[in-house]
Amino acid sequence: MSKPQYAQLSDHLEVDPITHIDPKSLIGHWINSNPDTISIARINITEANGKLQLQVFAVGPDGPIDWGIASAEVFAANPASSTGAGFTCTYDFGFAEARFQAMIMKGLLVLAQFHTFKDDSNRASYFMREYYAMTHEHFDQ
Amino acid sequence: MNYKQKSHLHPDLLNPAAANLDPDKLLGRWINTNWETRGIAECTVAREGDDINVHIIGVGEDGPIHWPTALATPLANLEEEAGQRTPAMTATFDLGFMRADTHLRINKGVFVIVLFATFLDDSGRANYLNREFFYRHS
Repeated sequence: MSKPQYAQLSDHLEVDPITHIDPKSLIGHWINSNPDTISIARINITEANGKLQLQVFAVGPDGPIDWGIASAEVFAANPASSTGAGFTCTYDFGFAEARFQAMIMKGLLVLAQFHTFKDDSNRASYFMREYYAMTHEHFDQ
Repeated sequence: MNYKQKSHLHPDLLNPAAANLDPDKLLGRWINTNWETRGIAECTVAREGDDINVHIIGVGEDGPIHWPTALATPLANLEEEAGQRTPAMTATFDLGFMRADTHLRINKGVFVIVLFATFLDDSGRANYLNREFFYRHS
């Protein structure tokens, strides 16, 4: 069997096939470290049918906004690892799209958000990066 | 105006100057701060006409690996920790056997590349993420 192609030395390796990345470290209720955020206040992360799922609660001008549930893709910290270290996820609202790239750093969830508008509002695409701590509090709104 | 969070209504999104969308601060050649990296050796961000292109050189066993150039999407930065509002950008690299979704930004003068690699071959390698730091080549 030929060696797999690689783009950088860190992925130049042969491994026993990794069929599942364990998302355990990501699962839970995450709360924004910034109480004055104008973005996402809380995130519920669960696993259902082998897929990671997010439920996002954002801050709106008149109260919280439940974005509903979306599936996420789990990423490990290296190509030989089966331990989840982050995820990507996309919410499509029709008028706009929000893409996430998230990783665990020092016990915090660091969430990078990329927002692109698809309507005719002429709003600029933008980036946000915020920190979330795991909480034992359960929330559904 | 439609919204799903307060920041969707931020007035700076309609004001290009205030949105700080100009990616010029990101242009240039950036060298990895870690001389022993097994990842990305360097990255060049260049304006070509109306486009912003990103070229990455990975560390290979027998020398540098030039990734295919990717088109960047510049993004405004509404707010970040410590009051930073440096622009950011995303770029996706299609390497055939692997897709690398990246975001690039400057944090306290250091250029940061966050990479999410998805393998498209049957090598059994795990999709993974990585973050590396770069200084401006003078």
